[in-house]
Amino acid sequence: MVERFFDKKTGCLTITINGRFDYSCHKMFKEAFTSVTTAASYDVNLADVSYLDSSALGMLLLLRDHAGGDRAQVRLLHANGAVLDILKIANFHRLFNIAE
Amino acid sequence: MEQMLTILIADDNPSDRILLKAILSQFGHKVVTAVDGQDAIDKFDPHTIQLVCLDIKMPHKDGWEAAFEIQRIAGDVFVPIIFLSGVSDPIALSNCLRIGGTDFISKPYSPALITAKLNAIVRLLVMQKTLEEQRDAMRSYNEQLLNDQDIAKVVYENITHSNCLEDPALSTFHYGTHTFNGDVILAAYKPNGGMHLLLGDFTGHGLSAAIGALPLADIFFEWTKKGFLMRQIIPEINARLKRILPANMFCSAVFIDIKVNNKSIEIWNGGLPDVLFFSKKANQPIRFSSKNLPLGVLSPDAFESQIEAVSFLPGDRLMAFSDGVYEALDVSGKMFCHSVLMPLYQGHVAADQSVDWLIEQLETEGVLKNPHDDISCLSVRLDASIGIDSSESEYSRAHHEAPADFSFEYVLNADSLRNTDPLPYVLQILTTVPGLSSFSSQIFMILSELYSNALEHGVLKLNSEKKNSIDGFSQYYEERESRLASLTSGYVKISVKVTSEGHNRSLVLYVEDSGSGFDFKGVHFDISNTELLYNRGLALLDQLCSKLEFSKGGSAVTAYYDWQVGLNG
Repeated sequence: MVERFFDKKTGCLTITINGRFDYSCHKMFKEAFTSVTTAASYDVNLADVSYLDSSALGMLLLLRDHAGGDRAQVRLLHANGAVLDILKIANFHRLFNIAE
Repeated sequence: MEQMLTILIADDNPSDRILLKAILSQFGHKVVTAVDGQDAIDKFDPHTIQLVCLDIKMPHKDGWEAAFEIQRIAGDVFVPIIFLSGVSDPIALSNCLRIGGTDFISKPYSPALITAKLNAIVRLLVMQKTLEEQRDAMRSYNEQLLNDQDIAKVVYENITHSNCLEDPALSTFHYGTHTFNGDVILAAYKPNGGMHLLLGDFTGHGLSAAIGALPLADIFFEWTKKGFLMRQIIPEINARLKRILPANMFCSAVFIDIKVNNKSIEIWNGGLPDVLFFSKKANQPIRFSSKNLPLGVLSPDAFESQIEAVSFLPGDRLMAFSDGVYEALDVSGKMFCHSVLMPLYQGHVAADQSVDWLIEQLETEGVLKNPHDDISCLSVRLDASIGIDSSESEYSRAHHEAPADFSFEYVLNADSLRNTDPLPYVLQILTTVPGLSSFSSQIFMILSELYSNALEHGVLKLNSEKKNSIDGFSQYYEERESRLASLTSGYVKISVKVTSEGHNRSLVLYVEDSGSGFDFKGVHFDISNTELLYNRGLALLDQLCSKLEFSKGGSAVTAYYDWQVGLNG
C-alpha cells in the first residue's frame, strides 16, 4: 500500500508505504512521486514497512533521481530496525537524509 | 457479421430435413444432410463441417449418441452442435445442453429464430477462432522465449563462469529463484599470483537482473588479466554500470583481493552483509561491514572506495554471502541475521565447516525449498600458494621464438604516481616479447614488487615495520592512501632492457626512486621466516631473479631475469 500527501504550504510530498516495500509497489510508488510536479521536497515514511528489498532501494534511487539527483531533498523517516539495517548496509545515508 | 458456414443436418424426417436445408441454403450456407445418427457420424469431418444440427429422436443412434461421437471425432476443434426437437419438455431440452450442445431449435421451424440463433453461433465461432489464434501465437511466442533464454543462458554462463571457481581453495554455493539470477560469483587469478574475487547481487531477479552481470564480468576478467589492481577495477565497473543501467538498478558487491606476496587481503564491501574473516588468532570472526554504496549508484566523480586490508596466515578463512542469506526467514519468521546466523558471528561454528553449516541451516529452516531471493555464498581458504603456477602449464611454448632486442624507459612524476598504475602497460609491452608471455606471472610479480617498494618506501617513505601487526597493517595502507593523495614531488623510473643471444634471452629491470635509499646490506633473504610480515617481498624477488643488485644507496635496484628458448625443439 502506497499513500501520498502533498502539503501545499511547505511543498513537501509525503509518501507512506505500508507492509512489504518491494517490486509490487513499483507502479504505485512511481505514480505517487510523479503525480505532484511542484514538490520541493520529499518525505518517505517507512514507519509501517515490515520489509524492504533491493528493488525498493532501486525505487528510492528513482525518486532521488526524479527529485534532482545530488540536489534532491529526500528524507527517509521512521525506518524500523530491520529496514534501517538494510539502508545502512547499502550506505544509503550518503544519499538520503535518514531520520529515526 | 456475415459468414457462410458448412452445416451438417441429421434428421430422419425427410420433410423437416428438406425444410431446414431450404431455410439455411437461403441464407447462403452450404448444407450437408444425413438421414440418421450413424449417417451423421459418417459424414462428419471436423475440418469442413463448422456446425452440426441433430434431431434428437433418430434410428441407428439418436441425436445424443451422435453428438457424443461427433465431439469425440472433433477432438480439439470446436464444432457447435444444435439439437432439433419437436418436444418442449424442459428436462429433455436441458439435457441437450448438459451433454455439450450449444443450443436447440424447436419445431416447427421459425426462419426468424433460426437466423438469430445462427448469428449467435457465428459470433461464437469467430470468438473461438480468435482465441485459438491467440493461443497458438502465445504458445509459439513462449517457445521462442524459452529458446532465446536457453541461448542467452549459455552465453551468460560462458561469460560469468570463465574463471577459476574450481580452485580447491574456494567453496561456493548458489541457489537461484529464476532461470537467470541476479547473483554472480567471479574469481580470477592475477598475473602476479593471488586472486580477485567478486560476489555481486543485482537489484531484482531474473533476466533483467542478470543482464548487468555481463559488463561486470567482462571488466572483472579483462582488467584482472591485464594486471590492474582492485582499486582501479572497482571504479571502472562502477562507471560502466552507472552508465548503462537504469537509475533503479545497481549491484551490491564484495570485491576481495588476495595478495600472496605479502599474505594479505583487501576487502571492498558495497551493500552486502558483513564479510567474515576467520583468523586462527581470534575466537570470533572479524567482520568487514559495508562501507561503500553499491556499484552503479554514484557517478564516476562522486565515487570513492573505502578498502580495508588485513594480513592472513595460511589456513585462515574468508566468507561472504548475498543478502538472500542475511534476510532469509527462519521457520519462526525471524530474519537470519537476528537468529540463525548468530552462532556464526559469535565464533561457535568452525571456520572450515562454515559453508556446510550454512547450507544445513538454510535447508532446516525451509529457505531452500521456497527462496524469495537469490542466495549465494563464497568461502575461501587463504594460502600463499593461491594462483601461483596455475596458469603456467596452460601455455604451449611457441616453436619458433624470434629474438628480441629493445629497451625503454618510463619515468613517472608525482602527478602520474598519484593517478596511474603503470604496471599493466609495462607488462603488455613485455608480453609481446616472444617466449616471455609464458613467464608473465613471474615477470609481473617482480615488476610489481619493485614498483611498490620504490613507491611506498622510496617516494612515500613508509616504514614497513608498521606492517608487523594486524592493526598496523591496515594503518599502513591508510597512510599509503593519504600520502599518495597529497604527493607533490618525487619520481619512479622504470627501465626495461631485453636482449637475445643464441638460445639465451635476458630481461633487465631497473627501478629507481627519488627516495633516500635504505640499508640494503642488512636485508635478510630468508623467505622461510613467515613470522616476518614485511621484507618478504625482497626475499621473493631474490628467488625469482637470477640476480638482484642495489645501487645509489638502495634507491635503485636492478633485477636480472634470464630464460632460454627453442631448446625443446
